[in-house]
Amino acid sequence: MKYVTTIDNQSYEIEIITKNEITADGERHTVDFQSVVGPPVVSLIIDDQSYEAYVNPTEAGLEVLLRGQRYLVSVEDERQRLLREVSGTNAVRRAEIQLKSPMPGLIVAVPIEEGQQVNKGDNLVILESMKMQNEIKAPREGKVTGVRVNPGDNVDQNQVLVVIN
Amino acid sequence: MFKKVLIANRGEIAVRIIRACHELGLETVAVYSEADRAALHVRYADEAYLLGPPPARESYLRGDAIIDLAKCSGANAIHPGYGFLAEREDFARAVQDAGLIFIGPKPSAIAAMGDKAVARATVTAAGVAVVPGTEGEGDLTDDELITIAPKIGFPLLIKATAGGGGKGIREARTLKEMPGLILAARREAEAAFGDGNVYLEKLLLNARHIEFQILADDHGNVIHLGERECSLQRRHQKLLEESPSPLLDEELRQRMGQVACAAARSVNYLNAGTIEFLVDKEHNFYFLEMNTRLQVEHPVTELVTGIDIVKEQIPISQGQKLRYTQDDIKLNGWAIECRINAEDPFNNFLPSTGFIDQITPPSGPGVRVDSGVYPGLEISPYYDSLISKLICWGETRHDAILRMRRALEEYRILGLRTNIPFHQKIMQSHHFITGQFDTRFVEERFSMDEAEDGAESLPHIAAIMATLVAHHQTHSSSNLVRQGNRQKHGWKWAGRMERLGE
Repeated sequence: MKYVTTIDNQSYEIEIITKNEITADGERHTVDFQSVVGPPVVSLIIDDQSYEAYVNPTEAGLEVLLRGQRYLVSVEDERQRLLREVSGTNAVRRAEIQLKSPMPGLIVAVPIEEGQQVNKGDNLVILESMKMQNEIKAPREGKVTGVRVNPGDNVDQNQVLVVIN
Repeated sequence: MFKKVLIANRGEIAVRIIRACHELGLETVAVYSEADRAALHVRYADEAYLLGPPPARESYLRGDAIIDLAKCSGANAIHPGYGFLAEREDFARAVQDAGLIFIGPKPSAIAAMGDKAVARATVTAAGVAVVPGTEGEGDLTDDELITIAPKIGFPLLIKATAGGGGKGIREARTLKEMPGLILAARREAEAAFGDGNVYLEKLLLNARHIEFQILADDHGNVIHLGERECSLQRRHQKLLEESPSPLLDEELRQRMGQVACAAARSVNYLNAGTIEFLVDKEHNFYFLEMNTRLQVEHPVTELVTGIDIVKEQIPISQGQKLRYTQDDIKLNGWAIECRINAEDPFNNFLPSTGFIDQITPPSGPGVRVDSGVYPGLEISPYYDSLISKLICWGETRHDAILRMRRALEEYRILGLRTNIPFHQKIMQSHHFITGQFDTRFVEERFSMDEAEDGAESLPHIAAIMATLVAHHQTHSSSNLVRQGNRQKHGWKWAGRMERLGE
């Protein structure tokens, strides 16, 4: 199975030949890949070098935490790549985002209004939980199409707070 | 000598105190909320009593219920830990009135240091320099505050006299914004502490937060156990502490230590406490406040002095003399503590709630882990996000940093996100390694996204790992069915095969 794997615009062509044999950009490696501790921690012995990392699925792709560094990785197999090239758009990325509460808590402030344009990193909601006031920030730029909470509201985990389009 | 101690707390600090009591041959009584039935402090203690539902005010803040339980269980003393009831004068007094020993300072000292404006006035009278600001006892009107502000100079801080935990604080940069900010600070202080009084304090730029551990007995002996460097903070919450501080030399340590002891004497302090200072670039130091309790970060002091602070608290609380004089206190090596919190450093440090599926703490030489968590524990929104404290000792600061890097790499916590990557990044940070930081460093000059020079980068390994994970995810469902027990789950298997289109 062949994959194209990308980190920060750097692409790697990785082919998984057997359970213990891969090539990366044409170079052959012997691998032993296991989840020793349990997911999401994985252990890789590659050409006798041992590595352990957390690999978490996120909206932005697979997140790899390895030796104190974080890598955001996108992995595509040949079929996925073909599909993307045929459809030619990033339709999914432009869809609306429902910003959900990461934890139960109390809404302290909502410093934005419906219809307002927001930038990535803008404060959308201030949520008090675990004895702290937490800022919920915009994951990307967009227009606020829905404000579903008011200051003073108690919210549950995963309750929709704000919708951005 | 008393025989039994009730610990009015939860989490890692309750476990820490139970350990000290058991080593001293004392029996222990735990109290717990409905959320903590399976907690380590409940399991480690000799006796355990349910207080009530998870919210703190219905459980760990029920002082009267806790005192009743102490009496019923035959406990002779109550250790409050930190947070909850630790700095409540009324609770300390009620414990004494019930004929029990409060393992901590006298109620009068808690009161004198609990009101920040009174504390400033008290230590000033004892000849201790405070951060420049308003004088007196904090009952100033808005107009008076606005009149005094330009004399103090901007930027300045408006702070709640009853303050703590970073609440009721506003930063003013101009006179114009003072009225609005005073109102906001008063409102927050009123909500948090039931007291809207505020005072003003000059904002010291590029300052460091350095505190001294105090031990005092009932015979007039007050000693300090050296300093702790606590400048690495985010929104007034400490993230990492070390002892000694890379900033201090022996001469400055002695001077600050003497002033710290004088400040403690000014309120007839008893037991363990901490004097916090701000130190500016010219090494001028100013009293900030006193914490009249055991601190979260006390282990770094224990590792460099060799003194078990909690075990010393107990004989002192029974009127015994300190076992040490100032000359006995020698700092040996270097200790660093990382607070491991359930929060996501890649997402604005938002708390991460959920269950701890698995936890494998680091171990080996020079590593200490103070923790109250266990697999299956839910990190709930009711309490703070501290999972554990990882403390490393080394012969030098350099050794301690290298050991901390090693320990952080070993730590495995599964089920929720933690700030371990933040600490790993700090341990790689050139500014941290060279001791060049202040209280604003994390917020203003540190980014999780910037790569540190010389940090190990292994994108090709990350790429291979991610690819193998993705490969296993797409292929494991069919693999599992192929290798699994088809006889047992024949219908399930058939349905799955249909969906997979095979």
